[in-house]
Amino acid sequence: MRSTPYRLLRQLRRLVPLMVGLASVFATFHINDAFALPAFARQTGQNCVSCHAGGQFPELTPYGRLFKLTGYTIGERAIPLSVMGVASYAKVSDTSKSDSPSTDFQKNGSPLFASGSLFIAGKVTNNIGVFSQITYDNYASQTVGPDGEPTGGFSGHSQADNVDIRYADRFIDGNRDLIVGVSFNNNPSISDVWNTAAAWMQYVPVPSPTSHQFIDGTAPYPGFGSGGNLAGITMYAYWNKMLYAELGTYRTANKALSFMSAGIGDADTTKLRGTNNPYWRFALTHEWGPHNIMVGTSGMVAHVYDGGSEISDPDNLGRFKNMGIDSQYQYILDPHTITVQAAYMRQKQEYSANTLAAAAPPYFLADGVTPVAPVNSSDTTNTLRLKLSYIYRAKYGGSVAFFNRTGTTNTLNQTSGFDSSGQITSTDPSETGITSTRVTGSLSGNPATRGWTYEAFWTPVQYARIGVQYTAYSKFNGATDNYDGFGRNARDNNTFFLYVWAVY
Amino acid sequence: MKVSGFLGIGFVVLGVAACANIERSRNLNDPTVPAKVTAQNVCSNCHGVDGNSISPNFPNLAGQTEPYIVQQLKSFRQHSRSDPAGFEYMWGLSRHLTDEQINGLASYFASQKPIKQPAEAGEAQVSAGKTIFEGGVPEKNIPACHTCHGDRGQGNGQFPRLADQHADYLLKQLTVFQRTDERPEGAMMKVIVHDLTETNMRDVAAFLQGMPPQ
Repeated sequence: MRSTPYRLLRQLRRLVPLMVGLASVFATFHINDAFALPAFARQTGQNCVSCHAGGQFPELTPYGRLFKLTGYTIGERAIPLSVMGVASYAKVSDTSKSDSPSTDFQKNGSPLFASGSLFIAGKVTNNIGVFSQITYDNYASQTVGPDGEPTGGFSGHSQADNVDIRYADRFIDGNRDLIVGVSFNNNPSISDVWNTAAAWMQYVPVPSPTSHQFIDGTAPYPGFGSGGNLAGITMYAYWNKMLYAELGTYRTANKALSFMSAGIGDADTTKLRGTNNPYWRFALTHEWGPHNIMVGTSGMVAHVYDGGSEISDPDNLGRFKNMGIDSQYQYILDPHTITVQAAYMRQKQEYSANTLAAAAPPYFLADGVTPVAPVNSSDTTNTLRLKLSYIYRAKYGGSVAFFNRTGTTNTLNQTSGFDSSGQITSTDPSETGITSTRVTGSLSGNPATRGWTYEAFWTPVQYARIGVQYTAYSKFNGATDNYDGFGRNARDNNTFFLYVWAVY
Repeated sequence: MKVSGFLGIGFVVLGVAACANIERSRNLNDPTVPAKVTAQNVCSNCHGVDGNSISPNFPNLAGQTEPYIVQQLKSFRQHSRSDPAGFEYMWGLSRHLTDEQINGLASYFASQKPIKQPAEAGEAQVSAGKTIFEGGVPEKNIPACHTCHGDRGQGNGQFPRLADQHADYLLKQLTVFQRTDERPEGAMMKVIVHDLTETNMRDVAAFLQGMPPQ
């Protein structure tokens, strides 16, 4: 890192009052440890470690998975509200290779209250339960002045986050165990109970990307191209704790279903064509002693209109095809919790006709004469995630994770390049040349991004966690060195991240 | 499927839910739910539907003595048993169980057939454990376990069954008795295990997990 350790420590000192304050609050709560629990814990009366492996949210234990699959209905109705808050600090390795560091690295090196969530979650009837989350992002967008330039300020925003409303029933006796259910949800795989599912395999907490853009939470993860805030219905069955199958379909979250995308403006709402956007998930599971393992596969085909485009025009329609395989192994025997996770997803994106028509690449090769290759009509990406974590006594934990995204090269995704003078410029006052993008740009048009994330955390009480994370990139946007055309290297994006996370 | 289709399915589900069968209830605050239903739909998640748990985090309950299960559930309910592994899971689950339900749960699990557990320990360790189980540790005035727990470890009234129990669970509970006051109902054990070494405890736990049929 370019910053000296001394400078880093000096900046971290500003967090001390916050940490001391939070520690005092936690210490106060600790007196009522067994009672001061979030919504589900109040419902069952159990501690967080019952459902979350080593208390590590959101990863579920075998019991936690059954709690979810049986519709969040174990226990008794309780006040179905919880709140969550995240305070964080992030420091990017190099902020010098930028035209506007204050814009490219917003809130870099500044402690901040990043985000908060309100959960409405709990048992409704003996067969129906809800898990829903509304998230406030304190740094949702940067405010812009009358001149169109960023003012340096931010505006917060609230919107629907995860929603999973489900009905479940279970037929169990000495000879059989069959759980069946229906989930209404707004995010493909949010209904899943394994942490390697696309919607769950993420380091959390994840503060707003506008404030911390290179932390692990913004690095490549397996995911469905459709994105979230949709409206979906899936049906699932889990047989003899061995075979899990789930089938469903998704559509635009509009009209009476708009609560699943509440808070998102029409132009930003993901719009799908019809309801023929199938999602599927199969998994084999086995438990023996303190061990359990899952091997699974999932996929989705989504017909997605270009963002903010007119859906009456079929030329605005693109298609994502995702297929993934994933596996999770857990060893849970007090005081140890070990998890090994692997997830791989292949995604093919077929661009809309209008996207392709508007995407004549403006750049030239370095000779300033030869135009770059024409755009491809589709792209394929492959994303791999591996993670190993260990937690001791549900208090002290650490993990190491590897991420690697590869994919096809496409000039459609090239946001930096040479102009007719063989130059690369990021500003063009005369508007006669071609501008390129610094920091987030791509000179290659290739998505390859690779790196490691290391984390250590402490859970002083079950509803609070303090963690440090370091994300190191060996490749970013297709290159190790000079990925944006302005000399920025992948390792310049390495980021230190500190967070305090509490839920109640 | 149109929006109305989604909503239609929702209403059908609500209708079905309204007719929920108490025979498959997971409600822990309903005195009308039969104990067998709770055992199979809630307790089974950790302890197994037949009382034989897969994970050693959770004790086997199959064949456990009824008085012991009743005593433990009541201890959890009134928060007198407070070892972490107990209160983290059991305080909440037991908080609104009625005496009748507790008796029913005890009867259900006591009537289940224990499954023989794998003998994971070496012969020397099992032999050392057998010696303690059958003869205690005379030089430390530690009595033989079988005196109270039965010659086959089958339990006796409020003295729990130990045979076929997970060794890891037994070791942790012996440690709780020895080092804490978190299980006041078992205060007698605190005196008995006071001078047991960790090796002694591991030996006897290993023997009991793989206890041969007699």
